[in-house]
Amino acid sequence: MIEFKDVTKSFKNVDAVKGVTCEIRDREVFGLLGPNGAGKTTLIMTMATVYNPTRGEVFVEGHSASAEPDKVKALIGISFQDPKYDRILSAREILEWHAKVTGVEKGVREKRIDEVLAKFGLTGEARKRTWTLSGGTKKKIENAKVFVQRPKIAVFDEPTAYLDVPSRLMVWDMIDELRDEGSTVVLATNMMDEADRMSDRVGIMSRGEMVRVGEPAALKGSLRGRDVIEMKLGVPIPELPGEVSKVEEVKEARFEGDVLKIVLSNGRGLLPHMINVVTAKGGTVQSVNLKEPSLEDVFLYYTGMKLS
Amino acid sequence: MSAKPSTLSVIRWLVERDLRTLVKSPFIIINRTIFFLIQLFVFAVLVSRLASSLDFNYFDFYSVGLVVSTITSIAFIIGEDLFEEEELGLLDYLLSLPFGHSLFVLGRALGGAVRGLIYVTPMMVLVAYVDGNLSPVGIAGSLVVIFILATGISGLSITLAMLIRNANRFDITIALAELATVRVSAAIYPLFYMPGVLQPVASYSPVTSASNVVRAIILPASYSSGVYDWVILLLFVGIFFGLGSAFLFRKIEGGKFE
Repeated sequence: MIEFKDVTKSFKNVDAVKGVTCEIRDREVFGLLGPNGAGKTTLIMTMATVYNPTRGEVFVEGHSASAEPDKVKALIGISFQDPKYDRILSAREILEWHAKVTGVEKGVREKRIDEVLAKFGLTGEARKRTWTLSGGTKKKIENAKVFVQRPKIAVFDEPTAYLDVPSRLMVWDMIDELRDEGSTVVLATNMMDEADRMSDRVGIMSRGEMVRVGEPAALKGSLRGRDVIEMKLGVPIPELPGEVSKVEEVKEARFEGDVLKIVLSNGRGLLPHMINVVTAKGGTVQSVNLKEPSLEDVFLYYTGMKLS
Repeated sequence: MSAKPSTLSVIRWLVERDLRTLVKSPFIIINRTIFFLIQLFVFAVLVSRLASSLDFNYFDFYSVGLVVSTITSIAFIIGEDLFEEEELGLLDYLLSLPFGHSLFVLGRALGGAVRGLIYVTPMMVLVAYVDGNLSPVGIAGSLVVIFILATGISGLSITLAMLIRNANRFDITIALAELATVRVSAAIYPLFYMPGVLQPVASYSPVTSASNVVRAIILPASYSSGVYDWVILLLFVGIFFGLGSAFLFRKIEGGKFE
């Protein structure tokens, strides 16, 4: 288990992480969700012992990250957001060195490297200097370091940035495999679909603070009652928002251009009624869209910011 | 799950990483070798003819100093590497690996020294040959002295890399530091002929001490060294290894905001 206890990390006058308290359970995929600059990377770095917290404490498997950094680092493998390795070296050299330094046993090292390179389709490029490779390939090599290491705690910072769709799916499968083998996975991302699909639980970070932690379904459920019906009308009728607001379940109604946006509970059940109310007042409904809360809505609700 | 590697293994792997990058940059080796050969067989030969009226053999004196000054220049490169690694964020990766920060500094300083040693070993053998003392023991002893100096210079270079934030300023500082350590020393000219104001500084230079000791080994009939040369060399290594570690910690902890 990883425990963050009131962790604050300040750089000069800037609090990059502010009073974060949360737990990451064993063998779960924990999605760390937040826009760039939210403090995700800094929080990861305090866990990885690269930065000491200015205040508070991080415990990894019961070891203090400040007092026992070597024990903590031996448990962790990080795939950084931007590839971090010697670009004069080849993928194979990078992976061999990383595997050695992180203590992967000699007997399994080569086999594992071959397997991971093959999975990423990099066998043919394994001996090229990595600076000559594309951005996506460089990112695959960064991810490959952790898949070769197979650490107890695997940290992926934006693992599918720069990757095409097949590669993204493969990385997700490989992360699932790691978790199934017993690793705890911390997945920092600003991609909602990735966090939603991959995470057992999600922590939402904004401006250095952990504003909410929970299972994606539970977080979306916490916004129950905030379904959105969007009706595109031929001609906007100014009195319609007031008219639909008379329905008890409606929390908010307004026009955005020629689209009537209604925030309400039980949107699915009330959809036919809302169409009736609009048409009874002379509205011509051209199209209807019902949106139930997504993780993006959850993020927007708790942070007041759009991730994108 | 992974087993924790031993301290010696970590140092070996950090040194290995430096060597792997060295092997991938053959032009640097070729460039340094050509420079060395021109300095030895053109510059040193010419100047020793000009200085033939003096009471010592300048070619012999200079040849040893050239090896010492070459290792000094090469050992400074480690700071440039570290500065670049910090700019590229590679330092975060290296510091997240399962070994302590002090071990990291030690490994990098030794890596810089070993890399330098690989450059200059053929040069040292050539100099021992042209100076007429091709003794394996003498060469090995000289390489030990050179290695100690290179470790200290690497520490100094790491310290500067940790202290200076701006790339241009760092390049200028490293160039000046290299110039100062080599030129304000007895590596390429005797202390006696230096300006009076620089003589006291140069006499405490680790480059002077290393040059003195290596000359005493390769050219024992003409030169000698004292205990103080060893004291200066070892103090230099200790001070700059300590400072390099301390400033590395400070830099990380005061670090950048991402």
